[in-house]
Amino acid sequence: MRIEAQNLEHYYGKEYVLRGVDLSIPAGKFIAIIGESGSGKTTLLSILSTLLRPTSGSVTYEGQTLDEVGNIDAFRRRNVGFVFQFHYLISYLSLRENVALSALDETLIDPLMDRLGILRLAGRYSDEVSGGERQRAAIARALINRPSVVFADEPTGNLDTKNALGVYELFREFSQSGTGFIVASHDKKIADFADTIIEMEDGIVTKIS
Amino acid sequence: MITPIKALRKNRFKTALIFMSMTVSIAAIFLISAISGGVVSMYSAMLKTDGDVIVTQKGIADTFFSDINRSLVSPIAAMEGVREVSAMILGAAPVDPLPIVGIYGVSENRFKSYALKQGSYPKAGEVMLGSKIYETLKHPRTITLSKQEFKVSGVFKSRIGFEDGGVVMNLDEGGKIFHKSASIFLISLEDLGKSDTITAAVNALNPQIEAKTTESFIDSYNQFKIIQTSSDVIGAMAFLMGILGIVSMMSMVVNDRKAEFGIMRSIGLSSATIIAKLLWETLIIALAAFVVAWGISEGVLELIEHAEKFQGYINGEITGPLLLKVFVVSVAMALVGTLMPAIYASRIDPMSLIQRGGA
Repeated sequence: MRIEAQNLEHYYGKEYVLRGVDLSIPAGKFIAIIGESGSGKTTLLSILSTLLRPTSGSVTYEGQTLDEVGNIDAFRRRNVGFVFQFHYLISYLSLRENVALSALDETLIDPLMDRLGILRLAGRYSDEVSGGERQRAAIARALINRPSVVFADEPTGNLDTKNALGVYELFREFSQSGTGFIVASHDKKIADFADTIIEMEDGIVTKIS
Repeated sequence: MITPIKALRKNRFKTALIFMSMTVSIAAIFLISAISGGVVSMYSAMLKTDGDVIVTQKGIADTFFSDINRSLVSPIAAMEGVREVSAMILGAAPVDPLPIVGIYGVSENRFKSYALKQGSYPKAGEVMLGSKIYETLKHPRTITLSKQEFKVSGVFKSRIGFEDGGVVMNLDEGGKIFHKSASIFLISLEDLGKSDTITAAVNALNPQIEAKTTESFIDSYNQFKIIQTSSDVIGAMAFLMGILGIVSMMSMVVNDRKAEFGIMRSIGLSSATIIAKLLWETLIIALAAFVVAWGISEGVLELIEHAEKFQGYINGEITGPLLLKVFVVSVAMALVGTLMPAIYASRIDPMSLIQRGGA
């Protein structure tokens, strides 16, 4: 699903955090948004992912403006996945139940968990597995409805280098299967895996490579 | 169903607090309703015994204050369709060492409504005791009532707590103690269909008296209305307290579980799904609280019924209709108390998950 942003601006009070952002993101690619803290990458990610309405400008998914979407919750459930810096798994649910939380087709759960290498842990709870395994479960939850695009905000922020590289490899692998990934990070290593790098500084896109 | 139970188990402490708050509120509603209902039903049952029509002093608020002339019994008894007329004096007085006891002066033809366990019906200078007060007073041979000593002629058993914990004497003795001729007449009819005609005829006998069918009397009796209204008000307060307890606890629960509801919103679960999830959780607690409150209430009522202090006067019963009513109230309490926190939970901005970073 192609995502386009036109002249995005966003302010918190009188402070702008995003100015004049125009982007065209092709479907099924691994896109990295990198920049220092306060550069506006998280705000851009939030707007592109439907979580935040921009002060001005518009976002379209395959030509459809988000403002025209009637039920944004249902739209998000079908088309968008999220991975956060912290896994945010629900602690009283097993990993499988966490993945199943939004699943539209539960038969996809086990194959997906198997592909992510956590099927053997499906019955365990988040406090019974490692940080990397938790984040894999969070990725499974994001992917379960085969979304067109998964947004991730600092998804490796709480992981060691080995697990961080494992997550990037997963993103790369799934993007090659057609799922787009848009990842905000200040981790320079992501550049080795992404198809496109969007660099940001002071709320402005400074470079796309 | 499994997910809400898991959520409740995970948040054990707050679940326990909500459960306790609801249990106390529901038990309070059970008890106040059962006790007030018991008082009304016991007094009603006493009046209904051999009483299709009841005659009192006109315009009186309480039968205890009613004073009617017993000479009217004969013309009423002579009316066509009247099977029997009995007169009663209703009063209360201390019986050493009890501070207050129900005293019933009754005409001799009403003695048969008291099932004797031992002894005989009272003559002049005698009383018979309900089995409850007989036990409480440790099987006395005499009692002192209004500074007069009465011999205990017999003991009767009554399912009506006011009678079983009371003293019955003949009408003349009651009249001397309470300085009145009679409090009420109870008219037993041959044909209930003629109650309106007979009621009108009795009312025409004397402008100082008022005859009503017993059902109509019970429906309009001010004391019952006062008891029922008080019970409803206290019940409503318990209901509101329960709701406030749930609102405050569920608000804390939602605050603790912000990330959970934020993630649900971010993965596209609808607001209705999140609200329903929380409503299920409190409904489960409400169901458990209802069952436990029911058990506690039955236990408390049993204790009260057998407590010497209450002389059997407080005899509450949890009836089927009361169970249904309190069940509906419990469900309503859970739903109303949870709705606001649940709506708040359903509106948690998933952006907060991003802004909290690694929180």
